[in-house]
Formats: sequence, C-alpha cells, structure tokens
Amino acid sequence: MNLERLIQQLCDSQVDFVVIGGWAAIFHGSVHVTNDLDICYSRDKENLRKLAAALAPFHPRLRGFPDGLPFIWDATTLANGALFTLTTDLGIIDLLAEVSGVGTFEEACASSVEVNAFGRRLRALDLPALICAKKAAGRPKDLLMLPELEGLLEASRDE
Amino acid sequence: MGTLRSLAGEELARALDRLRNPRPGGKVEAAREFGVDLTLLMEQLKLSPAERASRMHRLALAAESVRGAVRQNEA
Repeated sequence: MNLERLIQQLCDSQVDFVVIGGWAAIFHGSVHVTNDLDICYSRDKENLRKLAAALAPFHPRLRGFPDGLPFIWDATTLANGALFTLTTDLGIIDLLAEVSGVGTFEEACASSVEVNAFGRRLRALDLPALICAKKAAGRPKDLLMLPELEGLLEASRDE
Repeated sequence: MGTLRSLAGEELARALDRLRNPRPGGKVEAAREFGVDLTLLMEQLKLSPAERASRMHRLALAAESVRGAVRQNEA
C-alpha cells in the first residue's frame, strides 16, 4: 500500500479530482485510520484520459471480482460508469463521479479546500460538505465518523 | 476556494480550549460522550494538514503490516 504515491501520481498527471471520504477527514484532523483513497473525479473527456493513464501503470482491477475476469482499463471504461471500486498495486482507490449529499464533481469542487499534503497541492472536501456526504451515505461506518467530524467543525469554527 | 491551513495562535488556542472544555449540549461534548478521544484530536489540530496526512499514512502502513503478519501466522 502506498497511498502517498497514489495521490502524487494523480496530481502529477494533472487529474482533476477532489479527495473525499476518510483522507479528507484526516486532512481536517480526524484520527480514523483508513487504507483506501476515495476521490470524486471530473467526467470531462480529457480528464478521463488522464485518469486512465495515471492509474494504468499500477494495474487497476475491480475489487470483489475474480482475478481472471476480463477488465479493460481505459477512458472508455471510465466513460461508461460513474463508480469504480478498484485495487491497484499502490492500494485501494474508489472513484466516484458524484458524491452523495454533495453532488457532481463541479459541486464537490465548490465545496472543497486546497490542501498541501504529500508534497503536492490538491483539493479535498471541506468539513461541512464532508459531514453532509457522510450523513447522506448513511452506512454504519460513515455514521460512526459523524460525532468526531462534527466535534472538529465546532472546535475549529471562527467564532 | 479557500486553503486548509494549520491552526495557529488564537485560532489554535480557541480550538484546543473548546476540545478541553466542551460546551454543554454541543457537538464536542456529544463526540466525547460517543467515545471520541478528544486528546487525540487536540494533537492532530496542532499539526499542519500535511503533517496530519503523513502521520496517519504511517499509522495506516503500520496497521497494514500488522494485518499482513497476522495473515501469515494464520496461513
């Protein structure tokens, strides 16, 4: 697992993406350890090409499917879906074209902050949007994070 | 779009104080009652976002290596 390298690869390939989920929470101060990276990506044609090329060297394959299942990783595959749960040589990455409770990539961008991390400048959901996303996702693992995130928001508010 | 900066000076002091002395009925108090260790959050907020990421990445790597060792022992 090398999520640092995964993020650097996406940034260096100039992929348009916003970090959502556990790593966005970590940037804001969460202490929940996570071993996967969740991103919301632009479905712009050129961005799909960049995203496909960025991950290709690390052999992305669908999680939860037999190893031998044919899977073509390219911009066309990306264009034909909106949610990809992948394993790569660098670790687990989930690609979402939309974020529950937030919306499209453009809406995620509008609710994001710039973050310097892993030697790169990237975007991550801001704390209020992250809380909305966790509430909307509604899975037990998302709801478990809410008290911590809401506590962080209250603690770091400018008032 | 804003930039997520390190908390510093008065801003950091205020955040740490809110975590040390949660407002009754507030979200920080609810987090403490839920079982969130507020002292860990205080330590994280003293760091820059980049330092938080590096620290948690090291922890994730350590957890992964423990999981790998357990899997090997079970095999």
